[in-house]
Amino acid sequence: MAKKVLNVEDDPDIRTFVTTVLEENGYIPIMAKDGEEGTKKVKQEKPDLIILDILMPRESGIKMYHELKRDPSLKDIPVVMLSAVSKRTFLRSQVALTEFGDETVPEPEAYLEKPVEPEDLAEILKKILG
Amino acid sequence: MKITTMLFVSEFEELWFDALQSLLGLRKAALNHVVFLHVIHREKVAMRRGTGYLKQEARKLREIADIRFIDWAETLFEEGMEVGAHIAIGNVVPKILSVAEIEKVDLIVTARKRRGKLEGLFASSETSDLLRRTVKPVLIYNYLSQSGKVGENPFERLLLALDWSVSSEKVLDFVLSLKGAIKRVEIIYVLSEKGIGKLSKMEAHKVERDNKKRLDEVCDVFAKERFDARPHLYIGNAEEQIQRGASEHKATMIVVGTRRASVWKEKWSGSVAYSLAEKSELPLLVIPAEVK
Repeated sequence: MAKKVLNVEDDPDIRTFVTTVLEENGYIPIMAKDGEEGTKKVKQEKPDLIILDILMPRESGIKMYHELKRDPSLKDIPVVMLSAVSKRTFLRSQVALTEFGDETVPEPEAYLEKPVEPEDLAEILKKILG
Repeated sequence: MKITTMLFVSEFEELWFDALQSLLGLRKAALNHVVFLHVIHREKVAMRRGTGYLKQEARKLREIADIRFIDWAETLFEEGMEVGAHIAIGNVVPKILSVAEIEKVDLIVTARKRRGKLEGLFASSETSDLLRRTVKPVLIYNYLSQSGKVGENPFERLLLALDWSVSSEKVLDFVLSLKGAIKRVEIIYVLSEKGIGKLSKMEAHKVERDNKKRLDEVCDVFAKERFDARPHLYIGNAEEQIQRGASEHKATMIVVGTRRASVWKEKWSGSVAYSLAEKSELPLLVIPAEVK
């Protein structure tokens, strides 16, 4: 059975790009346009993998990632970060969030900085999902 | 009433990242979420004869805004703050109102948007339009004045202009909620010169005494919350005296209340808040009476 991949991304052009890559590689794409909608869809759809942007309206990918990894029922879903925000900033932000007493969270399965080539994205997905 | 989420509207003309940084003292109160908004004016990408809709130009302007917002956001993310961004094409005020609603912001920060003198006779400015249509507190942040940059921390020394109305009560509640971010509060009430002129000497003294007493009571409320607050009674034209008071007491920001008014009422009745919004060199925080 084809695996479900949730893409949380506010830019419609990138959503189209990711959808195409997912469909061409036999995955079922699910889309959300911000972190708030993304969290809802994760709970509803229980995807096999999440591709997550960072700077978005309503809720950032940084907050969404932190919440996902602290939720026992969702923390094992692999996450691929796909953003123009640097990996260094992402990792520092997760540390900064723990300064308010939160537990540390693990690093994502992969971190891709935009722009990404379709083959590179496909290869990462194959590596994680098999 | 707390500022946890702030909408920072930038046209990349007056308000840049240094202006935003000067507001981060609000983190000592409750601020933990900043939402950026850049609106590309429709005229910049509108249909032109022979070329049609300037799609390429729109894409370029979006890309520029995106690159700037990502740079700003990285700094804030690393400090543990939550950040969001909206880039839209259209008219500024409706976009501000809709993003403020979607993101449930507690404060809107925008630069003053001027119109020419002739234009101003027939149409109110975008700033007045925003004040008339929103129920959210608005900070009109004139970060770059003719004399250079305004202070490093605009919330340091506030001048609160009260008129004992419902909106003044909202002003007090709002400023009290900013505990931690403010060092000193100057509280001013301006007596009307015309009103006093019609009274006998005894009556005038009574009005003066009553207002001083009310000012002292307000200062007591602030003192209980450990604010350094001082009362000031001025007389004359409200708008002029508020500006004078701000200058004499070296205020870093003026805070006033307002009620919603129609364009014509605002234009001809000379609302103090609207007038200050157009003229004040200092940052101006406007708290609507309808704020929740």
